[in-house]
Amino acid sequence: MRIHSRFALLAGLVLLLHARPATAQLDPFEFEVYPYKTLGRGMLEVESLNSVVANGSRHGENGTSKGTLPSQSMWRTAVEVTYGLTDHIEAAAYLNLAKPRGGDLQYAASKFRLRGSLFDQGQLPVDLGWYMELEYNRVPKIDDQKLELELRPIIQRDFGDFSLVLSPKFEKILVGSEEKKGFEFGYVSGVYYRWMRAFSPGVEFYGAIGMIKHPDPAKEQQHYIFPVVRGESHGIEYSVGPGFGLTRGSDRVIVKFNVALEKYIGALFGPSSGELF
Amino acid sequence: MKNFIVVLNLIFLATGGWAAAAPDYIIDLRYENRRWIPETIVVPANRRVTVKIVNASHEAIEFESFKLNREKVVGPGETVTITLPALKPGRYDFYDDFHADVPQGTIVAK
Repeated sequence: MRIHSRFALLAGLVLLLHARPATAQLDPFEFEVYPYKTLGRGMLEVESLNSVVANGSRHGENGTSKGTLPSQSMWRTAVEVTYGLTDHIEAAAYLNLAKPRGGDLQYAASKFRLRGSLFDQGQLPVDLGWYMELEYNRVPKIDDQKLELELRPIIQRDFGDFSLVLSPKFEKILVGSEEKKGFEFGYVSGVYYRWMRAFSPGVEFYGAIGMIKHPDPAKEQQHYIFPVVRGESHGIEYSVGPGFGLTRGSDRVIVKFNVALEKYIGALFGPSSGELF
Repeated sequence: MKNFIVVLNLIFLATGGWAAAAPDYIIDLRYENRRWIPETIVVPANRRVTVKIVNASHEAIEFESFKLNREKVVGPGETVTITLPALKPGRYDFYDDFHADVPQGTIVAK
């Protein structure tokens, strides 16, 4: 028995020494592609963003796990509350929770973000938006970095019944062991077909390459493709689909299912001028 | 990274120049007594259209069109505008997303 314990300890140490920090940043709590359009002025939205890793890694700091807990069978849920401040700006707060395999549901992170759109939709050949987020993570179980800033431009173009959304993301560690490093690069993108209001197909892409100046080796980067269906019925919006990892550094299969409820609660500001904000 | 910044700059330059293009075809739409006036709007096909929406009611509404991928909240007494892309000939429904009992309207592009 003692030999087994020592062997387990030794094996654990070896794993720990060989485990490299997951530098490629991808937010596994939010498999959602934000379009150009922000939430309507005066609208309140409560959303539950859920994902479960059906086939992932059994070791921490691998796949979508950025902390010591392994990604395999990890259930992640984020409760997001968003309010439409103006016709062009929304504000949101998130509470991220995680349930590792065999463990209890536990606090994982808090996020605050602002998102905006520039000009009115359709005024430019491409619709342009922006996204700014602060994320406070629970370390070291869930993440290896404490505070992160994320910035994204949002670029959307409609082609008839199709919409293409591109959103490269730039992430900077503000507090953590990598705070002196530069920006990391990733992307969140999607192509959607407007078929029926209650049921429309799409394909989403999520990925992270690591530091901009020193990207991770290709096979260690994370890239995912999610065929999704989404829609709205009786005031409830949903987006569900399986995600497939495309590299060795990715989890193999993740299933996401997001549900949102919207209600008009009253606007703080009047309509926008139709120009920039 | 440099290439990406160059591409972004090109997009901004291109869009800035395009913003000063030919004026849109403008139509007026009014919401009053739980109905759209007019309920059917005819617009020229293949030309960008600006819809000026007046909410003459005492309740907030949300103009929405799934096919046109447009939605906008209009408070009571407010006026907003929505830009529609150049439409192919056809019929495009719109509705008040806050009140399912309000009859739908239709934009007909000819």
